[in-house]
Amino acid sequence: MKTIHLYLILAFVTLLGSCTDVIEVDVPEAPIRLVVEASLDWEQGTPGNEQSIQLRTSTPYFENQDNPPVSGASVEVMNLDTGETFIFTEGTPGNYSIDTFVPILGNRYQLDVVYEGERYRATETLFPVSPFTEISQSTEEGEDDVLEVNVSFQDPETVANWYYLRFQARGDLLLELYYIEDEFIDGNEFTIFYEKIEDEDQNIQEFQPGDVVDIQFYGISEDYYNYLQLLIDQFDSAGEPFSATPVPLVGNCINLDNPDNIAYGYFRVTEKTTAAYTFN
Amino acid sequence: MTTTSKSIKRWHILFFFAFLGVQPLSAQQNFTVSGTLTDQQNGETLFGSTVFLKGTTIGVVTNEYGFYSLTAPAGKYTLVFSYLGYQDVIRDIDLNQNQKLDIELQSTSYQLTEVEVTAEEPERAILRKPEMSVSKLNISTVKQMPVVLGEVDVIKSLQVLPGVTANGEGSAGFHVRGGAADQNLVLLDEAIIYNTSHLLGFFSVFNADAVKDLKLYKGGIPARFGGRVSSVLDVRQKDGNRKNFALTGGIGVISSRLAAEGPLFGDKGSFLVAGRSSYLDVLLKLAGEKNTAGFYDLNLKANYELGEKNRLFLSGYFGRDNFNLEDSFNSSYGNASGNLRWNHIFNDRLFSNLSLIYSNYDYNLDIDDFELDWESSIRNFNLKYDLKYYLSDAFKLDFGVSTISYLFNPGEIRPTSETSSVNPLKLDEKRALESGVYVNAEHKLSDRLTAQYGIRLSHFMRLGGQSLSVYENNQPLVYDETRRIYLRTEPIGETAFAKSDRIATFLNWEPRAALAYQLNDNSSIKLGYSRAAQYIHLLSNTASVTPLDVWAPSGKFIEPQLSNQYALGYFRNFKDKMYSLEMEVYYKDVDNRIDYIDGSDLIGNNTIETEILNGESRAYGLEFLFRKNEGPLTGWLAYTLSKSEQRTPGGIAGGPGINDGAWYNTPFDRTHDFSMTAAYRLSDKWSLGANAIFQTGRPVTYPNGQYEYEGISIASFGLRNADRLPAYHRLDVSATYRPNRRPDKRWKGEWVLSVYNLYNRKNAAAISFGQNFETGANEATRTAIFGIVPSLTYNFKF
Repeated sequence: MKTIHLYLILAFVTLLGSCTDVIEVDVPEAPIRLVVEASLDWEQGTPGNEQSIQLRTSTPYFENQDNPPVSGASVEVMNLDTGETFIFTEGTPGNYSIDTFVPILGNRYQLDVVYEGERYRATETLFPVSPFTEISQSTEEGEDDVLEVNVSFQDPETVANWYYLRFQARGDLLLELYYIEDEFIDGNEFTIFYEKIEDEDQNIQEFQPGDVVDIQFYGISEDYYNYLQLLIDQFDSAGEPFSATPVPLVGNCINLDNPDNIAYGYFRVTEKTTAAYTFN
Repeated sequence: MTTTSKSIKRWHILFFFAFLGVQPLSAQQNFTVSGTLTDQQNGETLFGSTVFLKGTTIGVVTNEYGFYSLTAPAGKYTLVFSYLGYQDVIRDIDLNQNQKLDIELQSTSYQLTEVEVTAEEPERAILRKPEMSVSKLNISTVKQMPVVLGEVDVIKSLQVLPGVTANGEGSAGFHVRGGAADQNLVLLDEAIIYNTSHLLGFFSVFNADAVKDLKLYKGGIPARFGGRVSSVLDVRQKDGNRKNFALTGGIGVISSRLAAEGPLFGDKGSFLVAGRSSYLDVLLKLAGEKNTAGFYDLNLKANYELGEKNRLFLSGYFGRDNFNLEDSFNSSYGNASGNLRWNHIFNDRLFSNLSLIYSNYDYNLDIDDFELDWESSIRNFNLKYDLKYYLSDAFKLDFGVSTISYLFNPGEIRPTSETSSVNPLKLDEKRALESGVYVNAEHKLSDRLTAQYGIRLSHFMRLGGQSLSVYENNQPLVYDETRRIYLRTEPIGETAFAKSDRIATFLNWEPRAALAYQLNDNSSIKLGYSRAAQYIHLLSNTASVTPLDVWAPSGKFIEPQLSNQYALGYFRNFKDKMYSLEMEVYYKDVDNRIDYIDGSDLIGNNTIETEILNGESRAYGLEFLFRKNEGPLTGWLAYTLSKSEQRTPGGIAGGPGINDGAWYNTPFDRTHDFSMTAAYRLSDKWSLGANAIFQTGRPVTYPNGQYEYEGISIASFGLRNADRLPAYHRLDVSATYRPNRRPDKRWKGEWVLSVYNLYNRKNAAAISFGQNFETGANEATRTAIFGIVPSLTYNFKF
């Protein structure tokens, strides 16, 4: 129901042209936390042996700099079904990688991170994705006369599926994230479109012929779906008039030694399919 | 249970004594004078006028239908009929038999707006009646206030009273004494109005030209009302001019309105038809805007007198909002209500009214891009019978019964084409029956001491006709100790309930009592206690309620909200009632106030029980109201100091609960709320008005850190509602010009120029946090709805 919400906001902003401006606000400061970005994504048609995990720390909200990398941590992943263990080694600071990972659909994996003497643990299951059935462009959807890309996929019937879809225009910071569950569309072919709406304040232009958009599509667990739903909703509209009260976003990495010192981020294991679409 | 039965026993005793107290102790015979008070010009009945016997403390106030009944020992008296804005009528009577006396009062002025004045007598302090925590607004006062875009707004005008706030501009509903919007019972001619706003909260659904009077009960809710724990807003439509045909209307920037009224069936009845429509959509289209928004509404009323003792009323309301975005998204929603009432006067002391009422609210959404159609609604039929027995000068009794049958449709999705990728889905419809029986006494214990006490017995039956999920250990959600979050659980089965089954029943005793002690001619103190139950709840996890929020009945998973409110007040009139002062302190607690878990998802959800936890809320405050009631300059200063917070423990789901189980601010908490309203009559042609408002900012949750994930900056958030928006304040002014009017000329017009937010304060309706896509930096963005808004409206009466 992200769409409905988005439309409500649009209606609200359009109405009588209520005005927005950027202001200075004093915000509270929480303690600095470990951030785990452990996304083991197995691209369809590849062996999926090369994987990496990023460890960083959080910063105060308005400190606009890159998150400091976390070096010297121990990072390993175990396949709970086969018992096989994969040890990740640090390359560039904060970046831990491996080239012997073995992804198996339906298997459960466990992440163990040791950082500053505290153990963090997470478990996750590898779910399959559905391939794209069609990628095309048009101007009729959304705002008229604006180029958009349409992505279709076929949802398998009777099984519950959760998806994560990510659009990013190449050379752009701007991206669009979607969480999709098949509750209302089970067994159907489903199409989602992405277009950019011009915004002078943020220097956003509509898609032009020749522009490339990168599309990534993931099969995810229900738990990660719930996490993403909150993450995306709050990223899109935290604090807006018709959005839900913002709340803490809790990932799946548990601090076993000091539960109060939580970690941000998530350990996900997914199957993904990607495409790059060039507008013509 | 023992405490309940004990308190019931106590009530029995109280009633017993009450009846004892009213037995005539002397053999002297009593007689009754009764009748109806109406406006001499248009025949509208006058609600809240006072009728009293001069030189005694015997007096009464007319009811909603203008009826009064006075009983006194036989003798010669002078009867005085009075009503604010009208000339007193004085009659000498010889009370040697029961008699009927209908009186017409004449308005003291012929001003356009004031012809319609029929609010409850004193906006100034009433000393003797135990009634407290009640705000009355005269519709002419409402019309004098400067308003945004020239739209007279009944709901917004309430917000200049102590204890009443809104979530800011462009947000629907209002909040009374720290309560939520769904805790207000809003009645239009007794019909429940589920959504009080047009255009997502910019305007209210009440057309001021069709409204006769309004009364807001902030506490001390009379026993005849039930079903909401915070307040009752009782709005009555005009009956229609009984003397001659009349047209009123206005042309404004955003909308225009027209009302026609006149006699019906000779002098036996009258009617009113009022319509209002915005032309915002037309303007937006002209401006080349592809997104449009608009609203309209229609008010209807007719009444017919069947002999001296019977009167029939038919009233209706229909309103609709429409949003259209790029032709790809269509949303429309609105209230519809109808009401048939029968007033019957059994005898000169017993008045009755029977009502059959229908209300409906529905929300529709069409999304072309996804080829789907969404609809949700709530509908109810209400049958009620209210009686008032004027037993003696010292004792009056209200009693009655009511039953409401509800049908909730929480949502239905339909594909709108063959190619749609959406499957049809209908969430379970829910049914319920809410009934109440009440009795309430107004009892003059001595010349100085008056009591009002009563009880409402309410009963709620959640009916079958649906299936309910069954959960392991009866836990729809469970606390995950390791991750420290609430997780939804999968149902382990389903129980099917037949239509004849009852899913749950609730029974609550709701005692209400108040006491007024008159210290002297000019001051009194009052005490009040009331208990109320609320069986239906609006599901909303957003800061402002939205039109697509759905109502849910109490049942297996949601308990009825129960509130206790205690209030103490001091009331004083100065300088022959030129000034008045009202001070009240209150404390209110509400049990079973639900809140939503982190990451709750309410739209299109068939199992709301997995998203909520049961908690409690409390509010307390001090209200101060100083009025100047007479002279060319009238108006008031209002100040409220208050606190409103809630707590939601884990309960059956385990764990500490929401916000770690600690108390947190409700979104309706405002520490300071100050307002000033003034009207100044410069000359016969010119009058001026001003409003000033200052309010502590709304509680919100700000980010307390950020981290990079998936290539974007993610904000982390801490405790719920621990931060605040900047303070809200503004000043509005208006000027009204009434050109030369000859008394013989029927056409009367006026121009109203108003400037809203004169010093162009950018009040934050919201502050959102996000990443700038050009620089990648985090920034805070303020949404301000109205800057300075000048507007011009032309009103006329013919």
